[in-house]
Amino acid sequence: MDLHLTSEQTLLRDSAAKFVVAAGPKVARVFREQDPSFAPARLCQAGDLGWLGILVPCSANGLGLGLTELALVLEQAGRGLVCEPIGLAAISAAALAQGHAPHPMLERAMAGEALIVPALQENVYGDNPLAPRMRVAGENGTLRLTGRKMFVCADGADGFLVSASGRDGPTLCYVARNAPGCMLATTQTVEGRKLSTLSLKDAPADLAPSRQSLRNAVDALHNLALMAVSAELLGVMEKAQEITFDYLRIRKQFGKPIGSFQALQHQAVNLYIRTETTRSLVFQVAANNDPYRIDPALAVAVKAKASEDALFVTKACIQLHGAIGFTDEHDIGLYLKRAMLLSSLFGNAAAQRRRYVAIAGLTA
Amino acid sequence: MFRRDTPAEAEFRMDVRTWLEANLPVALRGRTARPPPVELMPWYHMLSRKGWVAPHWPRLHGGMGATLNEQIIMTEELARIGAPQLPAQGLNHIGPILMEFGTDAQKAQHLPPIIAGTVIWAQGYSEPGAGSDLASLSTRAMLEGNHFVVRGQKIWTTWAHHSDWMFALVRTDPQAQPRQAGISFLLLDLHSPGIRIRPIKTIAGDDEFSEVFFDDVIVPAENLVGKLHDGWRIANALLGHERLATSNPQFALMALERIKTMARASGIMADPTFQERLAAASIDVTALSALFSHAVELSNQGQSPGPESSMIKIFGSELLQALNDLLIEAAGGHALTDKPIATDFGAVDVAASFLQSRRVTIYGGSSEIQRNVLARRVLNLPS
Repeated sequence: MDLHLTSEQTLLRDSAAKFVVAAGPKVARVFREQDPSFAPARLCQAGDLGWLGILVPCSANGLGLGLTELALVLEQAGRGLVCEPIGLAAISAAALAQGHAPHPMLERAMAGEALIVPALQENVYGDNPLAPRMRVAGENGTLRLTGRKMFVCADGADGFLVSASGRDGPTLCYVARNAPGCMLATTQTVEGRKLSTLSLKDAPADLAPSRQSLRNAVDALHNLALMAVSAELLGVMEKAQEITFDYLRIRKQFGKPIGSFQALQHQAVNLYIRTETTRSLVFQVAANNDPYRIDPALAVAVKAKASEDALFVTKACIQLHGAIGFTDEHDIGLYLKRAMLLSSLFGNAAAQRRRYVAIAGLTA
Repeated sequence: MFRRDTPAEAEFRMDVRTWLEANLPVALRGRTARPPPVELMPWYHMLSRKGWVAPHWPRLHGGMGATLNEQIIMTEELARIGAPQLPAQGLNHIGPILMEFGTDAQKAQHLPPIIAGTVIWAQGYSEPGAGSDLASLSTRAMLEGNHFVVRGQKIWTTWAHHSDWMFALVRTDPQAQPRQAGISFLLLDLHSPGIRIRPIKTIAGDDEFSEVFFDDVIVPAENLVGKLHDGWRIANALLGHERLATSNPQFALMALERIKTMARASGIMADPTFQERLAAASIDVTALSALFSHAVELSNQGQSPGPESSMIKIFGSELLQALNDLLIEAAGGHALTDKPIATDFGAVDVAASFLQSRRVTIYGGSSEIQRNVLARRVLNLPS
């Protein structure tokens, strides 16, 4: 179903669609083997367009827009298999802009000159993001972090927003990539992007600004991350589905287009239902929540659904293509791999469901 | 779920909640099957006198003219207290259709009694030989002077034996090709001579639906809605309304509450496997609420639900069945009793609810037919 958008929102979506024309499967293939696995100049271009500061208040030179606008841009990024981590950069900029005085890194982060990404996860199968084992010691100005974060999109990053436990509960800290005591162990993923384990040993850090009136900064950034990745997953499944439906219309067997067979038509409708329900959920949550105080139950619900549905859709797209879908040469596999990556970031569907149990009180 | 109430909306919500608590008879709360008219209609009349029976109707026609948010609030509060389903054929189907396609005289005659709850409507679409292939319907209406003579049979007609009027699809041109072009939309007084109604018992044990026989029933020509032979288009406009209404998340929300109650009573709520599956179901209910809000929003923008409403119907009805599967699982060995199960948290109908839910993927066009419609009309897949 169509989204009900303002003319400004439509313009934003169109300009994002234009941006991703230059991306797509061909470009994504090129970056699979490169370091970093994206074009820093393109990240700056996204910064020039204002997207990295999309959630940053106008008073701090951002666009001052909301979750709907963020989701519109990231949906297009997902469709185009964009490799530049626009979503992670944009939500980190939002976190740096909270509080009375923005963080010194904010300007460069918004411009795309410095890439700052969240480092929140500590457990292989997902965990309670509000009880990190990362320890923070010292006072602001002389903070030190010790601990380990997993599955960090550290590729090309200049700094991290790290969650840690201090005296007053979970705290969000900024750590520079080149800080002493900061170590990265990096692995290549099947998708092409690299993921890292970030080890900190007495690494100097400073507090990411937070406002007491808002949700806890860690909770806020985590929920924002769930939304951002979900919007990108939505774009991935939409595009994979379109490619597949086109194939069903042209591929002939038994003398007819295979899309005329009821078994395949019904499966096609199943994909369509997954995509449409995910889109409604993403955009309804976006329209009804402030970026920095998203209802945690809704954020978790969105990520659970987007993760599961994107995998369902992209796996089925391979099946509907038959043998050609199993080849590296065909693009459809790139969408499955992107869905694998994004559905796993910040916790997969099962991890989200376990958190939902706790948040919604589905216990005895 | 998605909209934080404005102060005015929060006040409205509390008004609704307080009024429902004070006025909805306890015996009508949490019922699985629709209560019979003798129990249900006094509640309908009470809502009507309060001005709340048709939140989605414009004030011009006696509705509440409620905003989208107010409609959602009403739905949520009705679900919260376990209010019974009202007969919907008048409020959700023929009412909106007459507003769109009816003559002034038809509106004046039929809309006020729907609001007042003095006339109950039935929908006459399915026939013994025309189920999924609805366009093959053969109940014949012959125009003779200033009236139609109707002969044939309708079946699976919800609440026909309690109803006063029926809106029906009838064949007015047996030769028309395609067959859809020979169908008209007619309003029939069910108290007319020549009509016989036989209730049909369902697997859930109730007699919610009937078969209706027409033996040369005289129907005034002014009871035709729209143009002669144009009934198919009107019915399809109406199906959009029906599918949207039946996928109201109210039912899924009620089912979710029943599962939690049953699972706490049986003890399975402590099981992590069950918890995760319940979380998955709750998340799907959240998605249904989003889908519904999205569709209502578009509706209010003047984009009436098209074939996409089939998608909402499939998702909503299949989810309701999945919820009933969880309910059966939560009840374990108790699931077979045909009486509500008493728990410390209230009585829960298990088998009856599960059996009732079999109908939702069949009525209003089966899930399989909806998938055919979507594949062709929305996905543009070849035939």
